[in-house]
Amino acid sequence: MSEENPESLLKNDAGKNKDKVFCTFCPSKVLNQGSATFVNIQFSLPYMQRKGDGQADERESISDYWLVEDMYTFENIGVSNTVENVKYLACADCERGPIGWHDLKTKKSYIALSRVKHA
Amino acid sequence: MAKTYDYLFKLLLIGDSGVGKTSILFRFSEDAYNSTFISTIGIDFKIRNIELDGKKIKLQIWDTAGQERFRTITTAYYRGAMGIMLVYDVTNEKSFENLKNWIRNIEENASSDVERMILGNKCELTEKRQVYKERGEQLAVEYGIKFMETSAKSSINVEEAFYTLARDIKAKMEKKLKEASNPPKGGGHQLKSSEPQRKPPSWITRCSIL
Repeated sequence: MSEENPESLLKNDAGKNKDKVFCTFCPSKVLNQGSATFVNIQFSLPYMQRKGDGQADERESISDYWLVEDMYTFENIGVSNTVENVKYLACADCERGPIGWHDLKTKKSYIALSRVKHA
Repeated sequence: MAKTYDYLFKLLLIGDSGVGKTSILFRFSEDAYNSTFISTIGIDFKIRNIELDGKKIKLQIWDTAGQERFRTITTAYYRGAMGIMLVYDVTNEKSFENLKNWIRNIEENASSDVERMILGNKCELTEKRQVYKERGEQLAVEYGIKFMETSAKSSINVEEAFYTLARDIKAKMEKKLKEASNPPKGGGHQLKSSEPQRKPPSWITRCSIL
């Protein structure tokens, strides 16, 4: 997914997403084109699937995100219960995730480019 | 940023523990999948985009996240709610009897003009059924609320229920907007016309697995 998707190909001159953003596992649409802005911000997301015992808390460090200023910009999104001031974001249809996180302090949401499909 | 929708409706799922509220929220979707991480922490709410009569509508749907175990839901949870799904389990008599308590709880805490709808969930469990559909219909008529039997498990009527509730909220809103731009003649304050539900209950749909 992300490996072949350098962010330069996915954003327009204004830094917005050129394509619509979808769940990688099902046809659920997460964002319309031009509704999010590319940002470089370090945040570790828990893995989408645990590989086995002892890795429960393992996280993946990700730095390429789509910033979504207003939560209602999302076409479809699932929002988790709060864990330490953060709500994790998942596909609203198949609930796979986290595909990003929502910061309760700033009210901003971030979607990891590597965890969604651009089309 | 320009607003990308015409309406935003906040909807709540209310009812006893175990009636399947979380599954209904989950199943307002095509294929469900248990993602370990997300299912562990649980979904608080979902934002879903639907289209009704050419209008883009954002639904923000909240689950009670276990608050219902205390048999009451706080006022904060009801704040801003425009629609409420009252859910019972057709295989659990008690959950049906408790609907009256939930309705009272709503009357005490939610906005007085909130749209409500009763859902009899798990209608696929025909052998275990304790509450006949007629009783659900009767209660709904008594309160002047719409009613549907649903099956989150078999994806029966879940989407229809949300569309129905959203359509009713939209109609109510548009009526209000119209009234606001066309105030009736005469001074003093205006009394709201209460609409008795005299229409035949054509909205009562079947649990279609029979």
